[in-house]
Amino acid sequence: MRIVILPKENLAEFIGHLRSFGELHAPTKRGEKSLVFAPVSDLSEIELNYTRTILPLKKYFFKATDVMFNFCAEKGYELPVEEADKKYVIFGVHPCEIHGLKILDLVFGGKYVDTYYFARRSKVAIIGLDCIPDDLCFCRSTGTDFVDTGFDLFLSDIGDSYLVRVGTSLGDDMVRAADSLFRQVKKEDREAYKRNSVQRRDSFQAEIQLQDLPGIMDLEYESHVWEEVGEKCLSCGICSMVCPTCYCYSVFDELSLDGNTGQRKRIWDSCLFKDYALVAGGHNFRAQRSSRVKNRYFHKQRGFVSQYGRPSCVGCGRCKAYCPAGIDIVEVISKLRSEIRV
Amino acid sequence: MGKPKVGVYGLTGCAGDQLVILNCEEELLDIAGALDIKSFPMAMSGGDENCPLDIVFVDGTVVQPKDEEMLKNLRERAKLLIAIGTCAVWGGVAAMSNETPREELKNKVYGPAGQVFDTVVPQPLSSFVKVDLAISGCPIEKEQLLQAVASLLHGDLPRLPNYSVCTECKMSEYPCLLVEKGQLCLGPITVAGCKARCPSYGRPCIGCRGPVEEANVSSEVRLLREKGFTWVDIQNRLRTFAAPADCFEDKILKEGANA
Repeated sequence: MRIVILPKENLAEFIGHLRSFGELHAPTKRGEKSLVFAPVSDLSEIELNYTRTILPLKKYFFKATDVMFNFCAEKGYELPVEEADKKYVIFGVHPCEIHGLKILDLVFGGKYVDTYYFARRSKVAIIGLDCIPDDLCFCRSTGTDFVDTGFDLFLSDIGDSYLVRVGTSLGDDMVRAADSLFRQVKKEDREAYKRNSVQRRDSFQAEIQLQDLPGIMDLEYESHVWEEVGEKCLSCGICSMVCPTCYCYSVFDELSLDGNTGQRKRIWDSCLFKDYALVAGGHNFRAQRSSRVKNRYFHKQRGFVSQYGRPSCVGCGRCKAYCPAGIDIVEVISKLRSEIRV
Repeated sequence: MGKPKVGVYGLTGCAGDQLVILNCEEELLDIAGALDIKSFPMAMSGGDENCPLDIVFVDGTVVQPKDEEMLKNLRERAKLLIAIGTCAVWGGVAAMSNETPREELKNKVYGPAGQVFDTVVPQPLSSFVKVDLAISGCPIEKEQLLQAVASLLHGDLPRLPNYSVCTECKMSEYPCLLVEKGQLCLGPITVAGCKARCPSYGRPCIGCRGPVEEANVSSEVRLLREKGFTWVDIQNRLRTFAAPADCFEDKILKEGANA
């Protein structure tokens, strides 16, 4: 892997260069405290020291609501027209977020490839940026605190400069296009990078024990912890919306008044919604809120492991940060592990 | 098949939901083209007040004996009765003080003038007749109305959201007013459909669309109490638009308050 150094005083200029590779998006402020990925025009709009945005990057590839096709009684159906050649550069993407995308790649790239997702994925360059965990981050436990792949460039803060790992040929083009802004790695850069890496590793406060968790979950299927969480849960669906790896959607048709045309659409869905497991005939497989909460945890930490060999949780902390009822995944898992039951 | 025969009527209320129909300016000709509007007293005179109807849209609440009479008559005339607006679906603001005796309330509001008319305890349409479809909102969302009409023209009922305002709020990535600002927001228990309009302007949801199915009111009350809101503030907010709803029964509210 090619590694170069970008002195911080050159970052603004480099960001200017990036704009020639596509529309630039980066974490930027919304409201007083919140952050979102949104279009930016220069470095002054970018929040470099952030922990998490409200929505993860899935919003770019798997949109909250999406038109799948238009239909017409005479003409059949046709795919919606997208700006075919428009490219995007997303700057400031944290490792957990990149892992989230890699998980979605697995899911949407399975037996039935989701072409909507991958058509957008191929138009977006990812510029990663490392971060300092806050008290809600547990990506170290989920093994998603660091990335080796899944980015075009990845910037790590080493004091006065960024150590830049080049992940793809597109990333290499980006560096070459602004060649004079970069320099070679020196001894002190190597040392700073390794020192920071240890420091970052030691700064995690939250932890989840993932080893043997699928087994523990099977054993604790009847645990009263699920009842407790079910009583608190508002079924508001926020945790699913903000989760980097929640990918459920519901499909429906929207008709026009002319009775002749319409659109097939999809919209983000959540297993916490009452109707999620409702089937024709009126039976609901998960009519109780507690069973829906349990299902969400089981799918992330148990079912996904069986299917893909790893949990789908990336430890970003959003589900806790944005839960109005204050449900804390770290607490739920640790209760499940320590619970004593007759 | 001919165009469906339609009536649009209002009981006691501000008529804002009927106004939404008239405000569909771009689509009004399409609506008029697709439906045979037999009567719409707010919009036209000379309607047919007796003919059988395929669909009747009704807004407002039953507040006077004549509302009940009119509603029952409409039910008899129409194959499908559609409640439009939070008043029709949940009772609305007219029902926010149903625990106060009617005479006392009337006297307080109207004084001696209140002697000249009768009122009953305000109730949503479903307390009196079978409602085939409920489109809530204060007022209703134009898009939901148009989708409902389009679906009905296809012989289907429309798909209305059965999740909370929070879902739409997060889909649009608005900062959470409960979590970030500690405001008295009813997003988690209020049914979606408005695209979180109030939170989009930084204002908390006041529950004007009525509760979402299976709303966890006691958890909402608990979290608002933890944020320091008084029981009176919480109760007033909860009971503004949909006080007759089962989930806002005194017993359930108190459970949350004492938790």
